[in-house]
Amino acid sequence: MTAIGLETALEEGRCGERLWLYATYHCNLACIYCLTESHPGIANRRALPRERLVSLAAEARELGFGSLGVTGGETFMLPDMAETLTELGSILPTVALTNATLFTDRLLARLEALAGLDVALQVSLDSPDPMRNDTLRGPENFAKVAEAIPALVERGIKVRIATTVDDQDEDELQRLCELHRSWGISDDDHIVRGIVRRGRAALEGMGVVPGPTDILPELTITADGAFLHPFAPTVRNGVTDVDLLVSRQVAPLAVAVRRFLGIVADQPVGTDAAATFT
Amino acid sequence: MARVRLLERDDAPLAARYLYRDDGSASPLTRSLVNAPDVLETFMPFLAQVYAASSIDLATKELVIVRVSQLNACRYCLAAHRPVALDAGVPPSHVAAVCDEAPLAELPERERTLIEWVDHYVLDPASIDDDLVARVLDHVRDDQLIELALVAGVTQLLNHYCTAFAIPAPRP
Repeated sequence: MTAIGLETALEEGRCGERLWLYATYHCNLACIYCLTESHPGIANRRALPRERLVSLAAEARELGFGSLGVTGGETFMLPDMAETLTELGSILPTVALTNATLFTDRLLARLEALAGLDVALQVSLDSPDPMRNDTLRGPENFAKVAEAIPALVERGIKVRIATTVDDQDEDELQRLCELHRSWGISDDDHIVRGIVRRGRAALEGMGVVPGPTDILPELTITADGAFLHPFAPTVRNGVTDVDLLVSRQVAPLAVAVRRFLGIVADQPVGTDAAATFT
Repeated sequence: MARVRLLERDDAPLAARYLYRDDGSASPLTRSLVNAPDVLETFMPFLAQVYAASSIDLATKELVIVRVSQLNACRYCLAAHRPVALDAGVPPSHVAAVCDEAPLAELPERERTLIEWVDHYVLDPASIDDDLVARVLDHVRDDQLIELALVAGVTQLLNHYCTAFAIPAPRP
């Protein structure tokens, strides 16, 4: 195993500067391409407690990471996520992935503190057509997202849109872009990514199998351990895949980082997978 | 059926794949251990060193391994190490004796004394007295006895592991 530092790995493009945190595998939706088989009735929610999220973020900053990503599951299934994001955002720039279907007026009010921080909420939306979007993401998803995004923007909270591409055509994507522009969200804040054939998508035969250098390594922390990138800690038939496991130990974070760097140092530098898959 | 996942090479953590052979195969024990790759960073080199020939010949170590596995009734380790012991030069009659298939009294004095010490070490270490130690030290040095204690200890660990997790015995 070759030993390099995080700074060198970043300079050489061997990994991304973002540390990903899987806050929970629990979700109120059950998307057919979900990497983690997240759904409302999931038995093992694998949540990271708020104190752990905050301590990992603080250590990440000390170690040289440049930003945080919070994902799941649905991050807002954790009742104190609004306050957690306020804390995380005061440590490092943060993007939190959400389906935006749980934003009641009360929660929106608690989220207002994010407006003054470098925190973005990345909302999933797959189609401008309500029925088509809801087929992929669940009943009434489109209506809830279409209501939540303007409410977030109105409160000065930064919003990004993430679209997972299955078989949407150019026209459909174009109409989706027109929609997010109408909400005041620029094209720079619209991420389009393919379905990765892992987790439930693999069981459904959806998406593409990424090559070894197709996805930029970005250290990803879950309750099951540290993984090579956020598409790694997938679940099939209730069991977490460990093929891209980096370390079972995640605290102190430096231990997982050491093992992560040992792996990325021995891997060829990828092309630019981030553009495709993140 | 094993009570932990036995991972194929492509399903194993990246950092543990070096433990698989070039053809992608590995023992069932290895295929289970890779679920916890962190500890393997140090455990596998430790195991390799403890089990390798050193100032103690391989045959003596294998005799101890088989005896400890017999005492713990570990089907996996007996299936794995009986052939290794024979390959290492342990006479079949000695293997039979430590597997309770022939009287231990038929072993030569050196092996008989070592096995007497091993039996106490595994079953009731508090019963080891100065006389037994003195008799063992007639045949091995004190540093070698320490090493054999590590061989017995790590074998005991693996016996318990393989039995508790029902690791299927390797094919001959």
